[in-house]
Amino acid sequence: MSDTQWPRFEVFKQDSHADRHAGVGSVHAPDGEMALLIARDVFVRRPDCVSLWVAPAQRISSFTVQQLASAAPPLRGSHGRGPESFEVFKKVHHKGVHTHVGQVTAETPFDALRAACQDFAEPPAHVWWLVPSASLVRSEPADSDSFFEPALHKPFRDQAFYRIQTLLRRLKKAGLAQKDGE
Amino acid sequence: MTPHPDQALSDWLLASADDEMVLAHRDSEWTGHAPILEEDIAFANLALDEMGHASLWFGALAELRGEDRAEYTDRLVFFRSAQEFRNIQMVELPRGDWAFSMVRQYLFDEAELLRLARLAHSQSEPIAQIAVKVQKEEIYHVRHTHAWIRRLGLGTEESRQRCQAALDELWPFAQQLFSTEEGAKVLVRDGIVPDPTEVRLAWEGVVGKNLTESGLMAPTAHEGVPLRRDEHTPHLTSLLAEMQSVARTEPSAVW
Amino acid sequence: MREQVAMGDASTAQSSRPDEAVLLRQFEARIARGQKIEPGDWMPEEYRRQLIRMISQHAHSEIVGMLPEGEWITRAPNLRRKMILLAKVQDEGGHGQYLYHAAETLGVTREEMIDGLLSGRAKYSSIFNYPSLTWADMGTIGWFVDGAAILNQTMLAKCSYGPYARAMVRICAEESFHMKQGKEMILLMSQGTPAQRAMVQDAIDRWWQPTLMMFGPHDKDSPNTPTLARWGIKTKTNDELRQTFVNQVAPEVLAIGFTLPDPHLHRDEASGNWVYGPIDWDEFWRVVGGDGPCNRQRLAVRRKAHEDGRWVRAALQAYAERQAQS
Repeated sequence: MSDTQWPRFEVFKQDSHADRHAGVGSVHAPDGEMALLIARDVFVRRPDCVSLWVAPAQRISSFTVQQLASAAPPLRGSHGRGPESFEVFKKVHHKGVHTHVGQVTAETPFDALRAACQDFAEPPAHVWWLVPSASLVRSEPADSDSFFEPALHKPFRDQAFYRIQTLLRRLKKAGLAQKDGE
Repeated sequence: MTPHPDQALSDWLLASADDEMVLAHRDSEWTGHAPILEEDIAFANLALDEMGHASLWFGALAELRGEDRAEYTDRLVFFRSAQEFRNIQMVELPRGDWAFSMVRQYLFDEAELLRLARLAHSQSEPIAQIAVKVQKEEIYHVRHTHAWIRRLGLGTEESRQRCQAALDELWPFAQQLFSTEEGAKVLVRDGIVPDPTEVRLAWEGVVGKNLTESGLMAPTAHEGVPLRRDEHTPHLTSLLAEMQSVARTEPSAVW
Repeated sequence: MREQVAMGDASTAQSSRPDEAVLLRQFEARIARGQKIEPGDWMPEEYRRQLIRMISQHAHSEIVGMLPEGEWITRAPNLRRKMILLAKVQDEGGHGQYLYHAAETLGVTREEMIDGLLSGRAKYSSIFNYPSLTWADMGTIGWFVDGAAILNQTMLAKCSYGPYARAMVRICAEESFHMKQGKEMILLMSQGTPAQRAMVQDAIDRWWQPTLMMFGPHDKDSPNTPTLARWGIKTKTNDELRQTFVNQVAPEVLAIGFTLPDPHLHRDEASGNWVYGPIDWDEFWRVVGGDGPCNRQRLAVRRKAHEDGRWVRAALQAYAERQAQS
């Protein structure tokens, strides 16, 4: 880790309890706790979030369907730690984002991919992301009030807050505005 | 002479509002100058929250005095002189280096959090409601600034020294957070606001523990504690000169 | 330290692949079908290079753009405006964040990009090299500069590179209040005191031409455009976007009783377009080349923040390393 090149963490945001966690971008942070706090400030300035996860980019194994079609599959191997839980994210549409679909248990990321391709086959994926569950840093439900609710109290971030039409009407009434500047 | 409870409440609300407003202004000065882009965003958030808190306290004061909330707030913020402000001196000090701003923020936020927890049970319903709202944001502030204190205290020798120097300088100023203005005693008696002595004890406990765990020492010296909220350093005068500069050019204007 | 976004040994894989011409055809066909290119997909080196350039310049523009407005937060004339301006500048920092992230997926590091900015090698939008002289500049910057940015960003939200397009969608949603708060401010001031109206006119006189220059050189002087169009990066030309902007904003400014600093400006009945006069491209190239009114000052501010923050970043690094070991 050099001066500004702090480790990158991918950020996953759950907009409401009816939604799944979806990738929204990344932040640089020196460690997991800072990554979570920074992610909240960078990605949750509008009130549409109930849960936030961050994962070190280094721990995410990414496979695009294109890569899988053209590359030789990586050698199977065990890292000797035994099976662990992996969180699975899929990007399904071209315009879509990486969405959380569930978990698999496996010894290596590639084994996790195999399992994910079976367990979460439909709809077909364009990109798979696998990350060990233990590497995720998550906001707690108890954090919701202090993490996410405050965004509700900043209505000035919403474009509907601005009284453009009212002001234009007032200007026209005062004779300070004409139509079309003619 | 015991002041009228309404006057005491007015003074207390104004003090709360001024603390948040002046600190928010100092925090906002970091925008674009923070050590890392992420903190430009985070510290701006803190400042925005605090301006919101100031709005709530100014608003409560406006209600008490039968004034229009927004107009009265702007009148108080942009057209009072330094000697009319009722903030503690700690928040008007220049922002210093990152350690100074983080330590100041941390000391203030921990005190606020403890105060708000008690205010949420105030005999005054409007105050209790404001406290509940503000508390939610304050929990996040403390988490954020505590994380910073820990990382700077346990980081490098330089960061530890800068933090300790900031602590040594700020500690006497921080005591003003808990000084009881004569008029406020009636508010404590009536269960409107908590006893500052009790809050200070809790604060010393929590802050002492967190500082120790962060490799820092809570200073013991208490000399030079400012006593009166109507006495200010020259820093407030220059702060207001900047903050009020545009508003005062056209006092009757709507912006 | 390069981020390894994808697993698998790319170099081994490529030596057994069909040749570049075939890959290029497939790539262009995907784009023509409206598909997104994602990190890890094959892409021509030129595509990668152009995107890194565009996205990092865009990111730098957001970061530097925080400064002309950031300077006025401490002087906002009422609490509402103070909070709005602070929220806007904060958003700009956030947008820089989204964009650095998008660029990183193409293999450039944040360290390299920051280095490029602070050394003066990297470019950013020239508009931010103009000084913000009065409070009315805040409204004008919002209405004009953010208005122009929104047009550009709406186009880029459809771009072929997934991470950039997605960053743009998020930015567009957040940017709409940036323009509106500026317009609201100007509308309010236009109903205000004579001093306020004069302040607005002065700001318009200084910001109009630089805003038009934001859209870049005329199409005939923009050699990159056809390739960028074929690769789904730029789907509207500089002149098209510029004309859209003038058509939208010029009549609105005139309608509220202000003038624009362009004696040639008039509406052409036949096309419906507002025709504008010649742009001073000498000024544009001077400012782009680093000789604008504030180039040196803006970079100096960012450099100072960077230098002053060095001990802070070192502390965070030390803490993280110690934590990792324990």
